[in-house]
Amino acid sequence: MIREDSIVVTGIGAVGAFGRGRAALAAALARGTPRVSAVDRSSGWHGERAARTALLVDPRAIEGAIPPLEARRMSPPSRFAVVAASDALADAAISVSSERDPDLAVAMATSFGPTSFTQRLVDQLLDEGPAAASPALFIECVANAPAGRVALSARAAGSNSTFVMGEAGSLFALGRAARWIASGRARVTLAGAVDEMTPLLHALLDRFRALARSERDGVERARPFDRRRDGFLAAEGATLVVLEREAAARRRGRQPIARVVGGWSAFDPTAPQSAWGHGHAGLAAALRSGLSRHGTEIDEIDLVVSGASGSRAGDRLEAGVLRRAWGERPLPPIVAPKSVTGEYGGAFIGAALLIAAGNSTMPVLDFDADEAGCGLSLHRGPPYPPPRRTLVSALSSGGAATWLLLERA
Amino acid sequence: MTSAPNARRVVVTGMGGVSPWGWGIAPLRRALAAGDCAIRSVTRFDATSFPSQIAAEVPPPPPELARSIRGWSRLSFADRYAVAAALEALRSADWPTSPELTTGVFFGSSTGGMWETERFYESWRHRCLERAPRHALATQPVDRPAEAVARAIGASGTVMTVSSACASATLAIGEALDAVRSGDVAIAIAGGADSLCRVTFGGFNALRSVDPRPCRPFRADREGLSLGEGGAALVLEPLESALARGARPLAELCGAGASADVHHMTAPDPQGRGAALALARALEDGACESARVGGINAHGTGTPLNDPAEFHAYERLFGSRAREIPVMVTKASVGHLLGAAGAIEAVATILALVEQRLQPSPGSGAIDPEIPVRLPASSASNALDAMVSINLGFGGCNGAIVLARWSGS
Repeated sequence: MIREDSIVVTGIGAVGAFGRGRAALAAALARGTPRVSAVDRSSGWHGERAARTALLVDPRAIEGAIPPLEARRMSPPSRFAVVAASDALADAAISVSSERDPDLAVAMATSFGPTSFTQRLVDQLLDEGPAAASPALFIECVANAPAGRVALSARAAGSNSTFVMGEAGSLFALGRAARWIASGRARVTLAGAVDEMTPLLHALLDRFRALARSERDGVERARPFDRRRDGFLAAEGATLVVLEREAAARRRGRQPIARVVGGWSAFDPTAPQSAWGHGHAGLAAALRSGLSRHGTEIDEIDLVVSGASGSRAGDRLEAGVLRRAWGERPLPPIVAPKSVTGEYGGAFIGAALLIAAGNSTMPVLDFDADEAGCGLSLHRGPPYPPPRRTLVSALSSGGAATWLLLERA
Repeated sequence: MTSAPNARRVVVTGMGGVSPWGWGIAPLRRALAAGDCAIRSVTRFDATSFPSQIAAEVPPPPPELARSIRGWSRLSFADRYAVAAALEALRSADWPTSPELTTGVFFGSSTGGMWETERFYESWRHRCLERAPRHALATQPVDRPAEAVARAIGASGTVMTVSSACASATLAIGEALDAVRSGDVAIAIAGGADSLCRVTFGGFNALRSVDPRPCRPFRADREGLSLGEGGAALVLEPLESALARGARPLAELCGAGASADVHHMTAPDPQGRGAALALARALEDGACESARVGGINAHGTGTPLNDPAEFHAYERLFGSRAREIPVMVTKASVGHLLGAAGAIEAVATILALVEQRLQPSPGSGAIDPEIPVRLPASSASNALDAMVSINLGFGGCNGAIVLARWSGS
């Protein structure tokens, strides 16, 4: 059924460890294994037993995508975002005009912003003094530098906001983008998330015991909901998607990837500063209330794309919220693509859209989820039927929570 | 997804602030009315090797405040400004926080706990990792001030942070307006917080954007901005529920608008097209005719490029009235609060509307004849119906809001 006034996703641009583009991301999901690389530990930030790998972007994946002179001025997140935005627009068959487009908006999320340039600037200030500080580095230190670069490259003169909500930010950006279009603030919105994973940031995340550590075979694995989980795989990259009204997409002859029914958020005030809380009941009530506001019964959810990442406390909270929200009812199949995409860098939203659209069924790793104590079973075995309505869930350390309701277009 | 029309009116029923004039609105109100300037020599760190050595710093908090807020010692300076401002705002709104009501927190911040992170990083570089205080690092992400507020008041609704450089708080207030209008939250705490740190101080010095003397926006001898720090918060609620509980609104938040320049990463569009678009959208959103606007709270940084761009934006929107409408420049008193600038400037604007008195601009130099704005010379009475407040940020992002006098109808 075509719904003229609904908001749809018509393009996906993605840059990550999996490579570049929607097909590369889909292939990674189908493989079911993350493409990890060794993190540079030469600076000595890492402890002896610290995590050693992350999902890092191979610079060759975006080589030549930005003119060298422009690329040189950009931080890695800005480069990732500009390439992802350009690919998303191309995927949606929207050409970039030479004129500013006041109805093209950008809703970006980031967890840490451009950390490598910030670190370099601080090093300059500490080591060489203020006279050595580079203005070029400072320009790219702000969290919204990637969004600014995307606006410049896409001639996007509409609303331009960068949201920071930890692991829940990417879904929030998509929800806001849909709202902007629904309220007439934008005709088209580029929405998504970007982050980079520097050796320093990787070491710091490990210091918080957030990252998966080596198993007996020497491999670090993210095991969402699994009793053996001990952390997530850190990732970098950017995923941006194009949102617009369904009628406009159909007029251009584009088949939407998925319909965005709505997005909503809540907060768990029991969460400490940089960890997950225990507010299952409050978050479950917020989840159900959001579904109700968007005219959806919980039984209508065919699939849950969970933001569970392998975090010990985060996955426990996620499982508790889902169980509580569904109560006595059986939970639908649950997939947790962060086992492949890792945490940060936005690939999770690309994965969620592909899965919701039925473009990718995700095999799961050899989890021992039934023994997880989470009370959840991950989908395994034969492919589930393409979902009609998909709930995407992301809970952040620090307390933020966001959900997005997608519908097959 | 469809959106309700902007039928629901939203009012400001409380406000709080932490500024270089002290903790609370009262000292800020006195200083703004007197046209005083808080920009002095930097004491937080050794600034002697920087080209400019001045900024507007927040004085130490009253001891009883630190004792009354749980976990104070683990909060960053920016977190403290945010929490203190939000609690004052709720007190002034006479709002009993209740878990029954969905309270949202919408904050802007550009650096969050960067000052604490710099110190952590410095100690980590020089000593060993294990001795560096982990909690200092936990305050680094820019969403921490909003989360600290949410934890302090037990918020369970949307808790989000906009990090779009100097436009952050204004954009966050715009998001809060949307959330209250749509019923996503029953009440919103909207504002921003940022603290002085070496990254921003060194960065703006590297850009040669900092005036060695206190900033002089729109004046002929201006040489750049002066940095400041602090936080401010507004309590926003639907008019009908405010009146039902017997609250006296301070002002009406009529509308919000946003845009991007698509010109340069740091320099504003010299023709002011982006800024004019944000202002026009805010007025349209608030169904406010431009003739109603009796005053402007300018972004007014005092840099050679910003002020002309802004004046040209006013000319685009108001025509010849651009030379007549009084322009307040809060930054000349408290410095540039970066991600929190829009919040403290919203407070200053509301004070002007409540008192029907524009705040004079500190300084006495001649107005730049190329940009002949009207700066109020003294705290004279004015008949103010509506005012706009605008902020322009790195990355070319712009945000504007429209506030109107609450006349009881």
